[in-house]
Amino acid sequence: MLRRQIKERAIRYIFFILAAVSIFIVFFILFFLISESLPAFQEYGFSIFDSDWNVTRDVYKIGAALFGTAIVTIGAMIIAIPLGLAGAIFLSEIAPYHVRTVLKPIIELLAGIPSIVYGFLGATLLVQYLVPTFDLLKGKSYLAGALILGIMALPIIISISDDALKAVPRDLKEASLAVGATKWETIKKVTFPTAISGISAAVIMGMGRAIGETMAVSLVVGNVMHIPVPPFDIFESGSTLTSIIALEMGEATGLQTYSLFACGVILFIIVGTMSIVSNILKERIEKKFKGG
Amino acid sequence: MKLNLELIKKPFQSFFESLFDKDNYNIKNLIVFISLIISLFMVVLGFFSAFYNFYIGDLNLRIIFIILGILMFFQIIYSYLKLNIRKKLFTMIIFTIIVIFLAYFLPAFPPKYDLRQFEMSASILKFLISSIFLVIIGIFGVSFSIKPLYNFSSKSKQYSAYFVLIISIILILVPLMLIIGNILFNGAGGITPDFLTQDVSRHGQEGGISKPIIGTLCLIGGVAIISLPLGIGAAVFLTEYAKGGIVVRIIRITVDILQGVPSIVHGLFALAFFVPLFGISLLSGILVLSFLTLPIIIRASEEAILAVPNSIREGSYALGATKWQTIRRVVIPPAFPGIITGGILGLGRAAGETAPIMFVAVVFIGAPDIPSLFLPIQALPYHLLALIYYIGAYEVEQNAWATAFILLGIVLSINAISIIIREKFRVEF
Repeated sequence: MLRRQIKERAIRYIFFILAAVSIFIVFFILFFLISESLPAFQEYGFSIFDSDWNVTRDVYKIGAALFGTAIVTIGAMIIAIPLGLAGAIFLSEIAPYHVRTVLKPIIELLAGIPSIVYGFLGATLLVQYLVPTFDLLKGKSYLAGALILGIMALPIIISISDDALKAVPRDLKEASLAVGATKWETIKKVTFPTAISGISAAVIMGMGRAIGETMAVSLVVGNVMHIPVPPFDIFESGSTLTSIIALEMGEATGLQTYSLFACGVILFIIVGTMSIVSNILKERIEKKFKGG
Repeated sequence: MKLNLELIKKPFQSFFESLFDKDNYNIKNLIVFISLIISLFMVVLGFFSAFYNFYIGDLNLRIIFIILGILMFFQIIYSYLKLNIRKKLFTMIIFTIIVIFLAYFLPAFPPKYDLRQFEMSASILKFLISSIFLVIIGIFGVSFSIKPLYNFSSKSKQYSAYFVLIISIILILVPLMLIIGNILFNGAGGITPDFLTQDVSRHGQEGGISKPIIGTLCLIGGVAIISLPLGIGAAVFLTEYAKGGIVVRIIRITVDILQGVPSIVHGLFALAFFVPLFGISLLSGILVLSFLTLPIIIRASEEAILAVPNSIREGSYALGATKWQTIRRVVIPPAFPGIITGGILGLGRAAGETAPIMFVAVVFIGAPDIPSLFLPIQALPYHLLALIYYIGAYEVEQNAWATAFILLGIVLSINAISIIIREKFRVEF
């Protein structure tokens, strides 16, 4: 009997260690990012957020990349949020059963397409399309980045908000239909507001993906470290936090490396926070309806 | 002085009433039908003209808008006289005025409106403006034609909302079709037996992609060996053993964070941590990709294990089984399809990632014939990246399409397998 207890306890600890591995991984990632980026923060302090990146003058301040990430993400969300929510509502509430069983796996497959493939098509087809359409000199621009990221964030937003909408209990919807509301009024006034925390989780998750996406963006955004004049000129080439790392890490030395690691730290903080917030929101909607 | 509208209305009313007479009732449906068709046509035309960069011509544009305007005018008159709807007509009247205005304005727009005078680096072209307005006016046209059809009831609102939703789902599916279709058409031609069995040569202009394929398979295999046991173990702990408390909370939060860490940040971390230890090697690549897939596997396995109802566990305990026996014999087997689905999805993600391995595991050319843990490899995503950079400098475009085809094929078939497993072996309780 005692042997059996010892064995049980040992197995419990083994599983605990396996689970604790992720703590170590996150700790290691944070530790190495911070230790490698510390020289850059020491050198520049808060002025690291200025826009001044020049390899010949050996100045590496990352403000322009931060601005690029912001503008590209905003653009992507303008495309992805309305389309994604419309798609989720269509899938979960309106689509007939057969259409749903076909569309859902297709959208999941869309999420599985590697970012390098998106980047390849973006760099060849999308950029070629944008040049004549907007009479651009070169198609690699914030606009191309925003379009690609918008398409890439769509499947995440759709599938998570679809789950959230599906989690809304049937009683609520049926009560609304029973008092004479149409299906659309029910969706607008009952289903959607009830699922709103899950839907915001989906939007935050999609935004996190857009901010952290690397290969596709670095191939279409043009990789020029500057803030365009005027700043809302989305037809200009630019760069993002991720694209600058992907492009320059290979040949970076000294201070440049530290500044690139600083980009990594900022990405980690932004996207990590978003991930935590969205998971809390997602758990909230699950808890809300579990009791009854 | 009060203006007597009835006097003005009467003659018109009799005229329109004869037009919409009970015996002649189909005229209303006919008008609505025509304006629906025209609006739909405008939406489709707008998308096509934006996509293929063509302008449909001044006269055609003017004719379409004027026809729509006239039809809307008839609908307004009809709704006013026949359905006695007055208050709700305001938006429809505004819409008709806009349509008539656009019939004048759009063809008069200059062929190219240069934004460079505002220091922006683009121009607004006529075809883009016209196609945007075609789509917007078309969508509103459909919605305003549905209104009289359903007597302005809330049903009409529902159908116009459905129409917008269907347009959006088409807009979502079109990029997917374009991606898959382009890769299929452009890539399939480049797939030959030589392409699959030879090594890369002359900057990827000749030869094949045998080594990148082998490298990617090695990565997938290594990731499976490391991350599956780790992820499943962690999920078992979190679902079966954990009883709350600070440590479990921390584990959950770190899994959330890990799930969000951008792939390029994983790459940076690996560059700082693994490369000094193992050099640029297959091992570094396997480790970093395992870290990337770990949260996906943990989440999927947790979900699968939580779906097993408690009554089964309690039945097992009642027979005197220990916790470990219960987990191994009772909980894991029904949860297994779900766990494997998550695991395979994670591997699919790992197979397509470029950013984490580009600094730590791969070379474009010159990997050893037999992959070794401590030497670099060639991998498909990185091969594709290098070819994209070479486009323009060398003749690699055909090979790039074929590589993308193979990569997409591997990743999508991995994902499809996992979806099939999920649908086929789903255990219902």
